[in-house]
Amino acid sequence: MENRLREYMDDLFGEIPPTKQAVELKEEILQNLIDKYHDLLAEGKSPEAAFNISVASVGDVDELLSGLTAGYTPHPCQDQETYIKQKRKSALLFSTSIMLYILCVLPVIIADSVGYDIIGVCLMFLMIATATGLLIYNHMTRPRYAANDGTIIGDFREWQEYNSGSRQTFRAVNSAVWTLATVLYLIISFSTMRWNVTWIIFLIAAAVQSIIRAAFELRK
Amino acid sequence: MSIASDLIRGHTDTIILAHLLEGDSYGYKINKEIQRKTSQQYELKEATLYTAFRRLEEAGCISSYWGNELTGARRRYYSITPEGERTYERLKEEWNTAKQLIDILIQSKKEDAADGK
Repeated sequence: MENRLREYMDDLFGEIPPTKQAVELKEEILQNLIDKYHDLLAEGKSPEAAFNISVASVGDVDELLSGLTAGYTPHPCQDQETYIKQKRKSALLFSTSIMLYILCVLPVIIADSVGYDIIGVCLMFLMIATATGLLIYNHMTRPRYAANDGTIIGDFREWQEYNSGSRQTFRAVNSAVWTLATVLYLIISFSTMRWNVTWIIFLIAAAVQSIIRAAFELRK
Repeated sequence: MSIASDLIRGHTDTIILAHLLEGDSYGYKINKEIQRKTSQQYELKEATLYTAFRRLEEAGCISSYWGNELTGARRRYYSITPEGERTYERLKEEWNTAKQLIDILIQSKKEDAADGK
């Protein structure tokens, strides 16, 4: 019968978002009903009668429940607006850096045809550095899931966001390291033609990656 | 009980504060006390009781904490704050004034004459 009381309360709170406040209130009233139910049984009422009397004593909960829904707005409009704005900015930064990556070979080709290959290589590195910087900046300033409405789901999302956030930063830095390593490898190899030695760059890149991972673990 | 209960419901806050003045308590216990004192004539609806708890807590008149019963049943206890004690005094004063005024206002002369005979 206690389960029936629980079911009744679940039903009553059906539409209410499961905030900490709401769950506690439900638990509190349920405990009250269970106490009352047992007292009625002790007075000699039948289980059915005791259940009905307990449930009838709850009364009109509209006011009580409206107090719980009043403060609950899952996505405030203004937050939504700034979120979209930030999202747009983030997309712009991201596409700019991709464009820089794609175009970074152009200075080399152009400078080579004119005869100043050093300037071409320098420009290419400058572009790669800018693009990587933009990617990292973009990631760090990206809007977080901040609309924690106090529900368990909200808490979980925040936690998830936090975790995947640091993972994504790590992945971004990681891919930058490997891209740079490949570019360096090709440039140095082609300019020195010492392919037998230059592969060591990849070992260095692996070492750098491990150091970065260690740094991330330490920061946690 | 129906009409009287409407009158009493307006004083739910005062009733709750009066009970908490005697010591910390939880919802069901307060309601049982109310029933006992009124010889089963009056009983608060859970909805009314808990709405009043929320209202009083928001106003800083009471504070709540979860008791740690060993027997599984978890109860939320309420205790009165100094602010709540002041509110209780004020509400009781207001009721006493209102009671006197209502007594005067609902007294009919006809009845007085009948009493006089």
